[in-house]
Amino acid sequence: MKPRALLLLLAFALVSSSAASEECYSVGAAGGSVSFELRQAGAPFRGAFRRFGGAICLAQDRMARIDVWLEPASVDAGLPEIDAALKEKEFFETARYPRITFTGNSGEARGEQQTARGTLEIKGRRREMQVTFSLRRNEGGPVVSGSLTLNRLDYGIGTGEWSDTKWLGAEVKVDFNVKLAAVKAPN
Amino acid sequence: MVHYRNSSEAYGIIAQAFHWLVVALVLAQLGLGVFAASLPIGLARLQWLSRHKSLGLAILAVVLLRLAWRAMNQPPPLPGSIPGWQRRAAVVTHWLLYLLLVLAPLAGWLHASATGLSVNWFGLYLVPDLVAKDPELAEVFKQLHLALVALLALLIVGHAGAALRHALWLRDGVAHRMLPWKPRRKE
Repeated sequence: MKPRALLLLLAFALVSSSAASEECYSVGAAGGSVSFELRQAGAPFRGAFRRFGGAICLAQDRMARIDVWLEPASVDAGLPEIDAALKEKEFFETARYPRITFTGNSGEARGEQQTARGTLEIKGRRREMQVTFSLRRNEGGPVVSGSLTLNRLDYGIGTGEWSDTKWLGAEVKVDFNVKLAAVKAPN
Repeated sequence: MVHYRNSSEAYGIIAQAFHWLVVALVLAQLGLGVFAASLPIGLARLQWLSRHKSLGLAILAVVLLRLAWRAMNQPPPLPGSIPGWQRRAAVVTHWLLYLLLVLAPLAGWLHASATGLSVNWFGLYLVPDLVAKDPELAEVFKQLHLALVALLALLIVGHAGAALRHALWLRDGVAHRMLPWKPRRKE
């Protein structure tokens, strides 16, 4: 065998072995939820995002790769006029920034509890963050659920008059509960 | 001499204080509501509507206390010169006013609950929601609130008109039962 062919075979074996140890899943909006809560005028206000997706890969029950996105234009706060305002420049500016993304690259697992570190990008602003969630293997497939808290001002959500945190709280709690669907390994 | 309780001549100062306090609060509240509703989606709308909600709940509390006081204090009788139909009209108007002063804020509270824009009373106390968030129900309560307020405004005009007629035209002492000074009766 020619050395070049041997190298190619070796490379293929490496790729396929890493693919075999990694289970990849797709994240779909069906059966899942991503909701948020913040304070308006001192009272809790809740809403949800209807469109989100992405891919998650596990290796030895640990998060190996997370690549998820969410469309802020799918925001549903229960009031059409508020949803419309949230798509505007002062909030998500969805025409310019159609997607919010989280890209995780390292994770730790302790039983069902997972911690992933990665980059959250909203409106072009990137911040490193750590997200803790649980990974449960249910009959219908794995389920990822957890929550994270962020400061909306770090990402320019609610600029101008809306940066008044007395009337619109800075802290936003995001809860997520998503089902993972297995993706066939490419072999 | 100061009468705290109602006498056969006039309302006592407690009933009078309740009456004029409610007059001041309700007039301020009507102005506040109309003004806030005219504002576009923005911080000012959130601020003024929040104040409107807090004031509405304050009015509800004051009116309930007023009704409790009223239950323990018979109103001073009308002079014998008042025709029967006017007596009946007065009784119906007064009870409708009381009813609307309870129902209008209640419908507003229901509306705030159903929209998910809960009330933090003047930033001091988080008021519980009466119903769960429901956009369709919110629209129903909004229309109900507006209808009740319109009816209330109409009755206020009728009530104030009748009182002014008694005070300025008839000068029969009827309106002065709700005033802290003695009437100048027509000779």
